[in-house]
Amino acid sequence: MSVTRRDLLVGGVGLVAGASVAVPFLLPKYHFDRRPKRSRVAILNVDQYSPKLENILQAALQLFPIDVASKTVVLKPNLVDYLPGDAINTHPSLVLAAAECFRRLGAKSVLVAEGPGHQRDMQLVLSQSGYEDCLRSGRIRFVDLNRAELVRTRLRASYTGMKQLWLSRTVLEADFLVSMPKVKAHHWSGVTLSMKNMFGIVPGMRYGWPKNILHWRGIQQSILDVCATVPINFVIADGIVAMEGNGPVSGTPRQLGKIVLSNDPVAADATCARLMGFEPNRVPHIREASRFLGNSSDAAIDHAGERLIPPEIPFEVVPDWRYLHYSE
Amino acid sequence: MTRSDCAITRGHVTSNELLRGRLLDELTRRQLPSGGWATSTTSKQAALETACLAALALGLRSDAAHRVQDFLLRVQNPNGSWPAFVGDDPDGGWVTSLALIALRDYVPGIPARLRGFHWLLKFAGKESNWLWKWKFRTTDRHVRFDPDKYGWPWFPDTVSWVVPTGFAILALNQVPCSCGDLGQTPHRVKLGIEMLIDRACPSGGWNAGNGVVYGAPLSPHLDDTAIALLALSGKKEVPPIQRAVQWLENPAQGLRAPWSVAWTILALAAHRRPVESQLACLRSLPDLFAVEDTSTLAVMCLALDYRDTLSAFGVAI
Repeated sequence: MSVTRRDLLVGGVGLVAGASVAVPFLLPKYHFDRRPKRSRVAILNVDQYSPKLENILQAALQLFPIDVASKTVVLKPNLVDYLPGDAINTHPSLVLAAAECFRRLGAKSVLVAEGPGHQRDMQLVLSQSGYEDCLRSGRIRFVDLNRAELVRTRLRASYTGMKQLWLSRTVLEADFLVSMPKVKAHHWSGVTLSMKNMFGIVPGMRYGWPKNILHWRGIQQSILDVCATVPINFVIADGIVAMEGNGPVSGTPRQLGKIVLSNDPVAADATCARLMGFEPNRVPHIREASRFLGNSSDAAIDHAGERLIPPEIPFEVVPDWRYLHYSE
Repeated sequence: MTRSDCAITRGHVTSNELLRGRLLDELTRRQLPSGGWATSTTSKQAALETACLAALALGLRSDAAHRVQDFLLRVQNPNGSWPAFVGDDPDGGWVTSLALIALRDYVPGIPARLRGFHWLLKFAGKESNWLWKWKFRTTDRHVRFDPDKYGWPWFPDTVSWVVPTGFAILALNQVPCSCGDLGQTPHRVKLGIEMLIDRACPSGGWNAGNGVVYGAPLSPHLDDTAIALLALSGKKEVPPIQRAVQWLENPAQGLRAPWSVAWTILALAAHRRPVESQLACLRSLPDLFAVEDTSTLAVMCLALDYRDTLSAFGVAI
């Protein structure tokens, strides 16, 4: 068989076209490696929300080399809505305790910031969830991230294909960002922990209620792009009363009795997932984040608090996520 | 108005007119040099939702009103839509509906409004496309809704939601003629109304637009319900609408949220229900002049003058 110049030309064009289609899928979608060599996690056994939280947290924070002296600390809780009796929000007493602790550690200012995904009436959520009273008693400023001043921000990973997002100046200018998730199963993303909690920094004013573009671009992909762009400096996860089943809103409260602290959001989320009875690397965004944002392997995590003991009965999840269970 | 009507007791203003006057003063004080308003006292970034609500609250009479109308004309996108805030990308979004309502009586704004109406008629939820309709009928059925009934999204490339659809219906009800593309208006309004009714929560009322997810019924929200009811004020006899009105008349005890109370007043008035208790609730809320969110300040003004506001929204009472 003879190969003509025409065959070579056609073959070459085909090769270039094939490569141009395939290469974007093969190249990594992150542009840096922020993983620490070792990550530190502290699991605290705490049975209930009480005034003792502040002392417990104060002691636990000393297990970490935290320097917030003269810095602006932004606490980002998971504040979704208010349904009586449901465990959908980070408990306000934990947020208040964290604010007091960071003040004692010398923070210049501590503020709480959140942008709920569905509720447009921030004042309603604050008043009915108990946050308003806590914020007032602790003299803590609150920033509604759905309506705060926005800055065009270039994304530092390319999982969604979006080049930029408009994000709040409050979060971008924070010296020390603390993600304070509620430990919950989530019907769209498997789990909602410190990284998924960052959806709250995406402003409703620009992306709507809910922030539907993040769903269309892929929830797991959006979590990775947002967390690559806005680093989480510390995690305080509220797992005292967690949520299983059809979270983040319609699930069932579950007494877990844990607070999880970490200087690495991936390590925090992997640990919380294990505490829920899940294999963390089966959660797509945790697995992918462990390639560049932090450590999910327990071998790379130093446990400074209680031992990690997975539950005898794992958290319930909607059927699409049952493969998260170790036994599946 | 009697002297006692004007009394301010324990920090609460007891007259609607007096309270509204003072809130309007505060609103005017917060106007930016550009003629727009930022969402809060801590920002200088003019936001369109806030500016439109403030323009509606001010009416046509003041210098501040003329400045905001000029501002709205200046910041319109080349494609006829309006941005979410000054400096935003030029794609446009749901606030276009609010801008069209805010400019309703402004003669120099007629060409801008026509371009805005044309854009709004082209703007639709993603489920209006056959491919996504098929997806929601076959592989993606966790949220209960009928993709044949679509309305308007918040921003391009997403699906329809309750609040943008409610405001789009209110805006399109004010389309001045049926010439050219504007002839599609009745069809889009009809589809939008069907979409709102389809997305109602099983217990009555609306939230953002997900009534049932993974088989679980979700709870309604006051403001979303109120805005949907404003858009559906011509359909008072439909059972889901009657259920929503009943739900709105019985809010949670101790409600301390002026934004939701104000929208509730407007919706109940649109459905010819008494609003005195809600007005009293609004007047009794503390620190109203210090409310940081300027959109809330504007909506309170609108609620306290609900007859004129409903007229501006094209709702007959």
